Amino acid sequence: MMGELRTISLADWRGRYAQLRESGLDEPGYGGPLERHFDGGYRRLARLRFDPSPAALRLWNLVLTEEDRLHQARRDGRIIVGCMKDLGTIAVLAWSLPRVVAFYPDGCWWTPCIMEGFTPLLKIADSLGVGESFCPVRAMLGAFLSGSEFPEPDLLVCGVGATCDDFSAIAQRLEATGRRIVWWEVPHRRRPEAHEASVLLPGGYVASCRSVEFVRGELERVWAALCEAAGGLPLDAGGVAAGIRRANALRRRLRQLRETVFLSPRPLMPSLEMLLAEMLAIHYCSDWDEAMRVLGDLCDEVTRRRSQGLALPAAEAVRLFWVNPPADLRVMNLVEECGGRVCGTDYMFTHALDEIPEDLPPLEALARMVLADPMTGASADRAGRICAEAERWGCEAVIVCRVPGASHCATEGIVIADAVRDRLGLPVAEIDVPPVADPIEPALRTRIGAVIEAARGRRK
Amino acid sequence: MNIAVGIDAGSRRIKIVLWDVDADRVAAAGCADQGVRQEALATELLDRLLVGQGLDRSAIRACVATGYGRNLLRLADTTITEITCQARGVRYRRPDASTVVDIGGQDSKLIWLDASGRVRDFAMNDRCAGGTGRFLEIVADRLGVSVASLGELASRSAAPAAISSMCAVFAETEIVGLLAAGVSPADVAAGVQKAIATRVAAMAGGRLNEPIVFTGGVAQVSGMASALEAATGRSVIVCPDAPMTGAMGAALLAAERLDARRPVPR
Repeated sequence: MMGELRTISLADWRGRYAQLRESGLDEPGYGGPLERHFDGGYRRLARLRFDPSPAALRLWNLVLTEEDRLHQARRDGRIIVGCMKDLGTIAVLAWSLPRVVAFYPDGCWWTPCIMEGFTPLLKIADSLGVGESFCPVRAMLGAFLSGSEFPEPDLLVCGVGATCDDFSAIAQRLEATGRRIVWWEVPHRRRPEAHEASVLLPGGYVASCRSVEFVRGELERVWAALCEAAGGLPLDAGGVAAGIRRANALRRRLRQLRETVFLSPRPLMPSLEMLLAEMLAIHYCSDWDEAMRVLGDLCDEVTRRRSQGLALPAAEAVRLFWVNPPADLRVMNLVEECGGRVCGTDYMFTHALDEIPEDLPPLEALARMVLADPMTGASADRAGRICAEAERWGCEAVIVCRVPGASHCATEGIVIADAVRDRLGLPVAEIDVPPVADPIEPALRTRIGAVIEAARGRRK
Repeated sequence: MNIAVGIDAGSRRIKIVLWDVDADRVAAAGCADQGVRQEALATELLDRLLVGQGLDRSAIRACVATGYGRNLLRLADTTITEITCQARGVRYRRPDASTVVDIGGQDSKLIWLDASGRVRDFAMNDRCAGGTGRFLEIVADRLGVSVASLGELASRSAAPAAISSMCAVFAETEIVGLLAAGVSPADVAAGVQKAIATRVAAMAGGRLNEPIVFTGGVAQVSGMASALEAATGRSVIVCPDAPMTGAMGAALLAAERLDARRPVPR
């Protein structure tokens, strides 16, 4: 007998929270009812559907209280490092230093969504000439200038080059406001020439040894800057190796969660909570221990559900591969409402999910991870990985989600969609998702619903 | 009489088909202008069609809603996207269809069908009015003619004007400029048709397999099919009763849901 789980609304969470408290809910210091975040201005929560488990509550509370942790770190005299644009390498390096807290200022790109536009961040960005032709990550500029989202970091590090044109322009504008940024260059991952020595990267791409060497040099420079900011610490390769092991421990736990959920015949965890869980890989939401605990709880929860035959409704849900994070979190709910489930993802930071080699000198290993990022090579390379992953997870259709204003999304979506059609023969839908997608929800439902119907029709 | 109902709540018109499940034929079909009271408008049209057949709602055995307003219709048993419904409706009219071009009031779509008529893949325009029926309405309004006579106007063109922008707002600005420069309304109308057809051809990306069947309200605008043929280099067949294919497909899918074992004619 299979039991059904139901997602719940923010209002439902009130009663659910009281019930959990009565039954002895074990909460961390950042715990509490979900609705307090709504009261604090996160209005979008009222439009979302949530997983009803204590593990999911802990995940949401961890994600929505990062600001508090960063302010606490400042009060504790810890060194705060803003790791910009890089989605999974510099944070590993920074977290390997004692008394350093790394965070991801780019995460502000969800603020316009979570606050349903009731935020001055975008207006501040507008005033600096960074208007809506840019990706919503421009909200980060407003966050720095207003000081409303996080304390001023002690050090800012930003990847540039084969990363994102929008972000480079935004970060340059930030630097022009008087902030010092340690720039490091991410070269385009090119195919090695015949005479060049090459190296196989984690994830399967190949790069020239010369490219790896260049990146290693860049990382050495960043590492020196980090050690200096941390109070003139010596360069300790052993510390970085330990940091890599910690990153890998978290990545392994996340892999366990993804495999349990994605490979399950029935949906064990909503797509929205899975998206949030994956985000923890980038910088641990500023607390590695808690990120580990949250992922552990989620793993336990889905394992329990699987053993007890509990799952979300829609037993016939179509297995979707999802490309790029949506600017509006509500869209992840739409997947399930339209009869689908996300069973494979490329949210632009897949290299933060792959394990970092532990049998190499630490900076060499990190340099290889930088070049293993699908976003730093040709779009066709990324499309190739997406096809391989979609096949591995047994996906029946692919949704390519575009971020309005994001320069890479304008052309990359077509390359990915064509590759999926040609190589896998799966239906593909491309969707544009603005930070608050309510006005176009009917159109989004049509696109998501149609790709699900097409995939379901192929089962017959 | 047992009736399966298909409702296409489009952006400009509501279309309804009543399918006689016992006789395997269309019992009645009709359409009405869309408005703010979408559910009331659909209900009024449905009741009118039923009364015309001497029936009331007790004859309804299944009801499928499609179109952008489908989720507002509580009288439907279920909703199915217009992609699936258009494919099913076109397949009923043209069982050999391989590619469906659907240009409606709010969006344009390409639907690729497999050999058994199922949706293999689809593509839709972005969320703007460029390349849709709404675009034609704006142009017709600017030229002072009805949408229905836009094709006739375009047929008098000697040299279609080049419309560079496919954003409806910018294109309107271009049209004002062209008219001010002395370009004839006929050349502007033909230029707009050509621009829409070119956009659809680009959306197809060369993946157009014949027979290509053209449906949706815009398929009825004279000259659009030949503009599509010119843009794609392929033959284009205008689907019979094109504005109704979505509702037709919804009605057939409703009948299939009613009795999955009982084949419904293709």
